[in-house]
Amino acid sequence: MQTLEENPHNIKINLAKILTNLLHYLLPWTIPTLIIISWQLASINGLIESTILPSPWQVVQTTITSLQSGVLEQNMAISLYRALSGFVIGGSIGFLLALCTSLSQTLNLLLDSSVQMLRNIPHLALIPLVILWFGVGESSKISLVTIGVLFPIYINTYHGIRSVDSNLIEMGHSYQLNSWQLFWHIIIPGALPTILMGVRYALGVMWTTLIVSETLASSAGIGYMSTNAQSFMDMSTILMCIMIYALLGKLSDLMAKSLETSLLNWQIKGGMING
Amino acid sequence: MHKLVKRLFSTIFLVFIIASAVWGYTLTREDSSSSLETITIGYQAGDPIDIAKTRGQFIKKMKKAGYKVVFKQFQNGSAEMEALASGNIDYARTGDTPPVTALASGSSITFVAAGSSKAKGSGIVATKSSGIKSISDLKGKKIAYTSNTSSQYMIMQVLKKAGLSTSDVTLVDMSQSDASVAFAKGKIDAWTNWDPYTSSAELTYSGAMIVTGTTVGASNRDYIISGSYAKNHPAASKALIKYLGQDMTWANTHKTKLVKMMTKSLKLPKKVVERMVNRRSYSLKAVSTKATSEEQAISDSFYTDGITKKKVKISKYVLNLK
Amino acid sequence: MADTILSIENLSKKYQGKVALNSTNLKIKNGEFVALVGQSGGGKSTLLRLIAGLEPMTSGTISQNNQLIHGINSNTRVMFQDDRLLPWKTVRENITFKKPKNSETAEVVNQLLERVELQGFADAYPASLSGGQRQRVALARALFVNPEILLLDEPLGALDALTRSKMQKLILDLWQERKMTVILVTHDVHEATKMANRIYVVKNNKIEATFENPLAYPRTDATCTNLSTTILNKIIDQD
Repeated sequence: MQTLEENPHNIKINLAKILTNLLHYLLPWTIPTLIIISWQLASINGLIESTILPSPWQVVQTTITSLQSGVLEQNMAISLYRALSGFVIGGSIGFLLALCTSLSQTLNLLLDSSVQMLRNIPHLALIPLVILWFGVGESSKISLVTIGVLFPIYINTYHGIRSVDSNLIEMGHSYQLNSWQLFWHIIIPGALPTILMGVRYALGVMWTTLIVSETLASSAGIGYMSTNAQSFMDMSTILMCIMIYALLGKLSDLMAKSLETSLLNWQIKGGMING
Repeated sequence: MHKLVKRLFSTIFLVFIIASAVWGYTLTREDSSSSLETITIGYQAGDPIDIAKTRGQFIKKMKKAGYKVVFKQFQNGSAEMEALASGNIDYARTGDTPPVTALASGSSITFVAAGSSKAKGSGIVATKSSGIKSISDLKGKKIAYTSNTSSQYMIMQVLKKAGLSTSDVTLVDMSQSDASVAFAKGKIDAWTNWDPYTSSAELTYSGAMIVTGTTVGASNRDYIISGSYAKNHPAASKALIKYLGQDMTWANTHKTKLVKMMTKSLKLPKKVVERMVNRRSYSLKAVSTKATSEEQAISDSFYTDGITKKKVKISKYVLNLK
Repeated sequence: MADTILSIENLSKKYQGKVALNSTNLKIKNGEFVALVGQSGGGKSTLLRLIAGLEPMTSGTISQNNQLIHGINSNTRVMFQDDRLLPWKTVRENITFKKPKNSETAEVVNQLLERVELQGFADAYPASLSGGQRQRVALARALFVNPEILLLDEPLGALDALTRSKMQKLILDLWQERKMTVILVTHDVHEATKMANRIYVVKNNKIEATFENPLAYPRTDATCTNLSTTILNKIIDQD
C-alpha cells in the first residue's frame, strides 16, 4: 500500500490528493450502489414483481424486523459459533498435519498422498457420511466446516514450510539453535506469509461450507433461515441472507487482511519507526 | 496514535466476535441437566408437529410423562428417512410417499400414526395462461412435480384417470422452491403439489386447481414414522399419539388462532394460510386399515411403474399398540 | 604475536563419493588476513564451511587454539554473499539474535551500527534497506559476538563497484581496529591482493599455491596489479 504523504506547502496538490484518495475509497462501491438504486427504481415502477424479487427497501424492512425480534442476532451468533469452532478445529488439524508432513520425510511419505486424495472430494459428497458418523446435531455441522477448512490450511502450511529459505535455516544452525528454536524463530515466521494466505482462503471456504451444513436437519443459523425461507418462497428473507453472506465474507476478508498487515508488517513497511 | 486506535478497535472487534460465538454456543445447548428420556422428532415447516411445537402444550405434557422432546426441522421426507435409518431421530412426520420408497429400498421403518386426509388441498394447479380447464387439457403440457413426494403419486393417478401416458405430457421433476418460481413466471403450465403451495399458487399467482386428490383417491395423509424406537418404546409412542392427537383436536377447534400462528411462522399471506387450514381437518391416530390400504396402493403403483424395485406388504410395518 | 590460531591437517571432504577437498594442510596465525582464491568448484568455499563447522569433515582435523573443532565452530562467524538477515526481525533484533536484550547489548549494537554508518536504522526491517546496507548489518551481526576468526564467503559479490570498494575499506579498518583474524573467500583476485596478507590459490580441491603479500596499507590498485597478474596466471594455468 502506497501512503500518500501530504504536502502542507502546496494546497493545490493537497486537494488533488484528497480527491484521488476519495475516489479510491468510493470507486469499489459504485457498481453495487448503482445496481441497488436501479433495482429499487425497477421495483417501484413495477418492472420487477415483488413476489419474484422484492425491492431493496423490502429487504431492509425484513432485516429490521428480524433484528427487532432477535431472530437474526440469535441465528448469526449460532452460525458464528459453528463457523469459528469448525475453523479452529480444522485449522489446527490442518496445521499439525502439515507440520508432520513437511518436517518429517517418513510422515510425508505416509500421509501426504492420502491427504491429497481426500482434498479433492467435494464436501457435499461427504454429507451422508457426516450424518451417519456425527448425527444431525451440532457436531455434524462443525465437522463439515472442519473438513472444509482443513485442506487450504494444510496445503499452505505445507508449502510455506517447505519453501523457507534454506540459507536462513543454515544460519539458524550456525547459531546453534535447537530444533524448537529453529522452528519458532525461523521456520514459522518464514512460512507465515503463505500460511496466512491459506487462512484467508479458508475463511471463505468456512462460510460456504457452513451454509451447506446448515441446510441439513438444522433449526438455527443463517443457512437454516435461508433454506427455510426458500421452502416458502420468502424472497425478502432469502435476499437478506444473501446480503449477510456477502457481508460476512467481506468481513472475514478484512479480518484476514488486517491479520496480515499486523503480522507481516516487516514485509510491507519500510521500518524506520523512530526515523 | 493511529496505530493505537486501530489496535484498540481490532481488540474490541475480536472480543465482540468471540462473545457472539460463545452466546451462539449457549443457544445451541439444550438443557441437558434433566434425567428425562430424550425423544427427537423430525418435522417439516408448517406440519402438525410444527403446530404442536409452536403451541407448546405437547412439550409440557411429554415432560410430565417423563420425556424430553427435541425437535429437528428437515427440508423434505427423504432427509427424514435417512435420519431415522441412522438413528439420529426417533420419530418423523412425513407425507405418504417417503415411507413407501424407504421401505422398498430396504429401510426398516414403522408406521406409528396416521393423520386425516388432505385430499382437498392436494392436486394440480394450472397457470392462468396455460388454458387448462380440466385434466384432459393436460395433454402436451409441461407439468412440474417433485419426486419421492405425494405429488409423484398424484400425477400418476391423474394421468391414469385422464387416460394419458407419461409420453403425452412433459413431466419436470423440480424442487418446491424451483417450481414455485417457474410457476410464477409461467415457465411451466401446471404444478402438482399440496398445501400451502397449492393455496399459494391459487391466490398469489392466480392459478386454478383443476383436480384434487379427492377425484383420484390420493389422500396425502400425514404419517408419524419411526425406526426401531417406536417398537422398543411402546409407552413413548402411546404418549406421543395421545398428546399429538390432543393438539390436533385443538387445531380443529381453534382455526383463527391456528391461522394467526401459522401465518407468522410460515411467513405466508394470511389468506393462503386460511384457505389451507379451512380445507382440511387435523388428526393423528393409530394407523387405520383404510390408511394402510392407501399406502399399499401407492406402494403397488410405484412397483408396477418401476419406480421402486421391491414389493412391500405395508401392514407388516404398521405399529400395533394394544 | 605470531602464534598459530588455526591449524588444519589432512583435511578432506567428500560429497556422495565426490572429492570436494583433498588432504589439505593450512596454518593461519593470529591476526592475519588471508584470502582463498580460485575458480568456483575448486573447493575454497568448502574449506571455509568446514572451518565454520557448517559441514562435517570426511577426514583430517581442524584445531583452533590447539582445540579440535567438532560441529559448529562458535568462535567464528560467517558472512555470506546473501545477507541471511531474518526479514521479520529488525536490524537490532538481527544483530542481537539469540542474545539477551539489555542496556549493555543495546549499547554495543548502537556502537556497531555507528561504526558501519547505520545509526538510526536499529528499528528498521531489512526489507527497507539497500543491498549494501544489509551487508553492513550482516557484518555488524558477525562482529557482535567478537569472533576470533571472521569468515567471509564472497561477502561483496552482489554489490556494485562503488559500494564494494567502500565495504572493502570498512572491513580492512575493522580488522585493524579489532585485531581479529579474517579469512576471505573470493573469486576476485584483485580484491584478495588489496586486502589480504597472504593469498592461497585453491584449485583442483587442494591448495595449489601460497603468495605472501607484504604491501603496506592502504594499498592502491596500482600497487597490487603485479601480484594480481601473477596469481591470476596461477589460477588459469593448466596442469
